Amino acid sequence: MPNLPIEDRFKISPFLVFYLITSMQIGIGALGYQRLIAQYAHEDAWISVLIAGILIHVIVWMMYKILETVDGDLVTAHIYIAGNFIGKFLSSIFVFYFFTYALTILRSYLEVIQVWMFPTMSIFWFTLAYLLLSIYIIYGGFRTVVGIAFFGIVLPAYLFLVFGFNLKFANFEHLMPILDNSFKDILLGSYHMSLTFVGFEIVLFFYPFIKNPEKSKKWAHLAILTTTLLYTGLMMLTLSFFSEEQLRKSIWATLTMWKIVQMPFVERFEYIGIATWSLVILPNFCISLWVASRLLKRIFNVQQKKGVILISIISLIVINFIKTREQVGLINDYTGKVGFIFTFFYIPILLAAVLIVKKVKKK
Amino acid sequence: MKNLFFILLFLMLLTTGCVPKSIIDDINIEAASAFDELEDDTFVGTVLIQEYLPDQSTENKTFTATAKLRRDLLLNIQRQSSEPLHLGGLMVTIFGDKLADRGIMDFVDNYQRDPSIGARNYLATSSGSALQILKGEYGPRGNSAYLNNLIEHNMKYRDLPETNLHIFIRDFYTQGKDPYLPELHQINNEKVEISGLSLFKKDREVHVLSTDKMFFFKLLADRHSNGSFKVDLGSGREAEIKSISSKHKIKISKKNPSQVVIHIKIKGVIPEYTGEQITPKIVKEVEKALEKKVNKECLGLVKQFQEQEIDPVGFGFFHRKQIRGYNFKRWEDDYKRLTFKIKTDVNIVETGVLE
Repeated sequence: MPNLPIEDRFKISPFLVFYLITSMQIGIGALGYQRLIAQYAHEDAWISVLIAGILIHVIVWMMYKILETVDGDLVTAHIYIAGNFIGKFLSSIFVFYFFTYALTILRSYLEVIQVWMFPTMSIFWFTLAYLLLSIYIIYGGFRTVVGIAFFGIVLPAYLFLVFGFNLKFANFEHLMPILDNSFKDILLGSYHMSLTFVGFEIVLFFYPFIKNPEKSKKWAHLAILTTTLLYTGLMMLTLSFFSEEQLRKSIWATLTMWKIVQMPFVERFEYIGIATWSLVILPNFCISLWVASRLLKRIFNVQQKKGVILISIISLIVINFIKTREQVGLINDYTGKVGFIFTFFYIPILLAAVLIVKKVKKK
Repeated sequence: MKNLFFILLFLMLLTTGCVPKSIIDDINIEAASAFDELEDDTFVGTVLIQEYLPDQSTENKTFTATAKLRRDLLLNIQRQSSEPLHLGGLMVTIFGDKLADRGIMDFVDNYQRDPSIGARNYLATSSGSALQILKGEYGPRGNSAYLNNLIEHNMKYRDLPETNLHIFIRDFYTQGKDPYLPELHQINNEKVEISGLSLFKKDREVHVLSTDKMFFFKLLADRHSNGSFKVDLGSGREAEIKSISSKHKIKISKKNPSQVVIHIKIKGVIPEYTGEQITPKIVKEVEKALEKKVNKECLGLVKQFQEQEIDPVGFGFFHRKQIRGYNFKRWEDDYKRLTFKIKTDVNIVETGVLE
């Protein structure tokens, strides 16, 4: 399929890249990433988060380098280095990746609802409702999806004020002594940060939709900086709020932290937090669905509207098969690992390949 | 296509009833509970439920049941309740003497697992029957509100160091710190008092600190925000210090890690003095007297803890945090050898409205 240029009216302003990336990075992982990292890096867990964030800046720089060189999306890059057939074959793997990503997010969120609020809630019906909403959004086109990403960040932002209640109980002595753990343990912590941090790789897919993509670079980096600081700050607060063994037992540390909140008009704040979180994961889910269906269009020439329906139906069926806590943990674990390999191994390799091919073609 | 979408949307609305409802009038909300152990190793528990009457007063209802196993307790209580029992409104939990001696973590663990229970719940121990405390009648606002407020204002403004479910669990799991809880005592059927502070070794109560020591304990373990204290200056002169706020800093001296230096800073106001006039000289005298008293009492307390091998102040925790690469396995021996130095700094900032 020829690389059709995107019409101007479908394009987005460069600053919106900020909301796309932050909303994709802040998702279900933010509810409970602290435990996984503290397991390895203990009181230095916040350093792990910081290191992971810094490395992601490098990866974002690489992604832009790839995209600028081929002037298109990831499919263009694949075709550029490996030709039409193999290029499309490589790209089709990512349909599966984003499908699993969307599924992981939704299923993990459903687990939170079932454990914290309604143990008997039906997975099928909730998924159906959520999918219908997402299909509706994606039918509105990419610009609508971006709009949801914007609201997915701005509307739930008030939640961060709530952490003020935790500050009262925080004892920052818990963070001492700094750098007492081995460098290897800290890096292991950074590695486990991957599921929470992945999501920024979507730039590879919507790049052709950005007006003046050159200008969007700084917004992308600003987005990574924001999420890094946010996650580092939250990690520090969590470490000083809990004692270590207590944190190790809290599967959703962020939610457990909200249990201390007391306001005259609301007895249990977690319920409001969890309900608001459905707005936080909505852009996560929509963007992954959009990318998956967009890839179907680019590779197999399937109309995007039909692609979304197809993926939705498959999700609706598959999600019923993930039943226990272990299975949810497993799928989270795998998605995190694949995300890690994709971002930290595949992208640098791809960049090298693209640069080599460019040199060869010039000759 | 658009019509189909709206039809589906309409159908979605019909499915909102999928989750069982809990209507506030049709459930019993547990407001407080008490647990104890009987002679023959069975658990006994009482649950307090409040019914809000139309004239804005509340009626206290209690259910008591016994069980061999802890988890059967609630089941047995459910059997007596006319409406399903919900744990969401729990405010205070009291553990009886015998249970506290045996260890309460099983019960507390249950609380931390249950997402419907808030982390600000108050836990307390009792001298005398824990169950009887819930069965009293403490005024129109209901027993749970009474107990809750009793503990709350004593923590905020008086000598009780702050604790709640979260702090108890946090201290329990902190290596090198032991938790503490307030102890309640029922004076009669209409009154309950705070009779001391239960100090724990892990989750077993080992000592009850008397109320007159609590002021000094709070200086060590927490911070005062609005305390008061009477200083005896000898020859019948007394000064009352109010609005006391305090801070403490625990440092392990770099040269000699077996010495702990505790800096206590106290700020206060003297509104009452039994002598003739408050002069700067007398203010100095009061400051000195209080410093001396605090030094003596606090030193006594930490030495007592050391003998009892409990660590409610968290010296072990400070060792772990302030000495790089500290091997915590050595702590038990190190604690026995620890020496303490207390430096108190009292500052009287005001002497009331009269000169």
